[in-house]
Amino acid sequence: MSQSLRPYLQAVRSSLTAALTISNFASQTSERHNCPEVEANSSPEILLNPLHISRNENEKVKIEPSYNSVRISIRIKQADEIEHILVHKFTRFLTQRAESFFILRRKPVEGYDISFLITNFHTEKMLTHKLIDFVIEFMEEVDKEISEMKLFLNARARFVAESFLTPFD
Amino acid sequence: MAAPQVHHLFHAPIADHSFSSDKKTLAVARENNVELYQQSGNKFALSDELKGHEKTVTSVDIAPNSGRIVTCSQDRNAYVWEQSPTGWKPTLVLLRINRAATFVRWSPSEQKFAVGSGARVIAVCYFEEENDWWISKHLKKPIRSTITTLAWHPNSVLLAAGSTDSHARVFSSFIKGIDTRPEPSAWGERLPFNTICGEYLNDTAGWIQGVAFSPSGNALAFTGHDSSVTVVYPSAPEQPPRAMLNIATRLLPLNSLIWNGETEIIAAGHDCEPFRFRGDENGWQLAGSLENKAGEARGAREESALNMFRQMDLKGQAQADTKLKSTHQNTVHTIRAHEEANGVVSSFSTSGVDGRVVIWTA
Amino acid sequence: MSQINYRTINIDALDPESSANFPMESLLPATLPQAASASDAANAATQVRQMLRGGDPEGALRTVLDTAPLGGDDRAKEVHLATVIDVLQGIRQGEMTRILEGVCSGDGGAERADCLMKYLYVKLLCFGFQERNCLMEVRGFDCLSIDYRYKGMSSAAPGSGTQTPKKPVSPQDTGFSQIQARNLGEGGGGQQMSVLLSWHERLVEIAGTGSIVRVMTDRRTV
Repeated sequence: MSQSLRPYLQAVRSSLTAALTISNFASQTSERHNCPEVEANSSPEILLNPLHISRNENEKVKIEPSYNSVRISIRIKQADEIEHILVHKFTRFLTQRAESFFILRRKPVEGYDISFLITNFHTEKMLTHKLIDFVIEFMEEVDKEISEMKLFLNARARFVAESFLTPFD
Repeated sequence: MAAPQVHHLFHAPIADHSFSSDKKTLAVARENNVELYQQSGNKFALSDELKGHEKTVTSVDIAPNSGRIVTCSQDRNAYVWEQSPTGWKPTLVLLRINRAATFVRWSPSEQKFAVGSGARVIAVCYFEEENDWWISKHLKKPIRSTITTLAWHPNSVLLAAGSTDSHARVFSSFIKGIDTRPEPSAWGERLPFNTICGEYLNDTAGWIQGVAFSPSGNALAFTGHDSSVTVVYPSAPEQPPRAMLNIATRLLPLNSLIWNGETEIIAAGHDCEPFRFRGDENGWQLAGSLENKAGEARGAREESALNMFRQMDLKGQAQADTKLKSTHQNTVHTIRAHEEANGVVSSFSTSGVDGRVVIWTA
Repeated sequence: MSQINYRTINIDALDPESSANFPMESLLPATLPQAASASDAANAATQVRQMLRGGDPEGALRTVLDTAPLGGDDRAKEVHLATVIDVLQGIRQGEMTRILEGVCSGDGGAERADCLMKYLYVKLLCFGFQERNCLMEVRGFDCLSIDYRYKGMSSAAPGSGTQTPKKPVSPQDTGFSQIQARNLGEGGGGQQMSVLLSWHERLVEIAGTGSIVRVMTDRRTV
């Protein structure tokens, strides 16, 4: 299990290092604008080939690089229905508070659970390798968090079942 | 090798920097303004601000002889600043472009300057005496995307440009009445305005981030977003180049490069440190970093146990890794020759996103 | 005509001078080899498999990367991809580093490293689908995205698009509808994946991040 997690995260880390080589770029479509090209999507040569990394069919990462921004989308492991619901609630909680996370995108890319958008303004203010650490740590933690929540949920369900459905002696 | 001189000016990206010819004045592009620093002792102190642009200033260049400063910005304008008794006076340049201006450089003759832009044109600007203003002529074809970088040939007529369409091109920017007819060279013999003397594309097609002519002007080097440096030796006009050598590195992309003599190139970029390349027409290779990192690494290892536990207590990590081992702490944008004689660079300066200007011995 | 909602027309796409209509083929170098056909790829495959059986995995990997159909059609690329995967899986973990060092050195070593990196990303991308479908997914997506770029339309970005490209094989949805379609458990190919991931790791050690950067910039797909 975790034996393949390390190379997976390592692959994501090196891909992110390569992708986060971004610099300031003014829009060549709209006058006096400066927007993340990966979102604006107005000139094809400014976008690079996207990188996909998957560990298995339930866990994958998509990195879409462009001249001044990179979009990272993560599909979080969901082994059963409870995990699926938990992931949905968890990512919803985060995306609703997207401003406080700076790099979090309000809406995930289709087919993924959560997306980050890193622009050149982020890499100018923050250390690039720390941003990468953040994404990697997020990926590690979220799995842990979800399985922990699942355990709590099951424990609680059992407790509820026991206290409400105890037969009379 | 002497330790590099680090000038940490502020905590904001430096889009471009330029030294005056006496190396006492330093102009840096900081957000919407250009700041001028004067040397006092071994420090640089803020002396003046050039205010006028409404958007991020992308490039600044000081003409070595006349001392004029040209700046350009994402607000589509360029200004030529001249010193007067009451301070620096801007003159607006008629660029006639409708997208961001991205890069500006004086020609070696200082009669002209070229402004690259996102409007897929290069504006070659010159002074028109009778109307007393700077006007421009456009180099247009066959540019297909934003111009990211420019470099002048020593003869002030040929202009190399790199663009996000992944091509490096050499144009003629000959303007009648301003330029003298250039000597015929491997790039071309007759050079009317907008002649394309060369157009080069790498196999791996990265956006071009930096171009430079060799001191003799007989070779062109460019670096792209594909982490490579390419050197082109032209053979004759209209002929394919004699040699086009591509050095694919294992580094992150390089943003800017300069020649040091005819057999050495110094380049820097997203790895936050300058690298040296050596070679000639028969082959080029990466010779190594100019950064001396060995000393610092040892210092980091000799941490006391107390320090380690304190770190773990405060930050939850054993070692603080918030500082890079390189001198620059973030991407290097510009590298310029600082002191040179006959094309041989004895020191060069770099500036980057971390707000530092560093002077290195080559 | 009244049926067309003119507010949703992307007028940039109709202007040949617009930057949305950037000619992507101008990014392909003039040295691009002739388009290889599927039978060429099949010939290369037999040759490579022979070398693999003959106990020369290094030579096999070298040949398979040298004969990559950069200019080939989709079918040829598909056949060649299968060969590459066979070779990669035919090499034992312990030998990876040694073989990679051999393949990535010498004349054209850097190009081989870049080429292998491309294959790894192509393969890493499409895990979780049946081999055949997965290839269609990769190709289909590639073609579509390039197609869209040519037409200057918005591609897969949600929220920006008037139209979203329809993929030939759609991956699972994120919505709750997924509950029915979801595949329980880890799936069969986790093992294969970890092999490819460790190839990726070794290759990054040898060829550096520069090689990943070139996968992103290079418009010659494998």
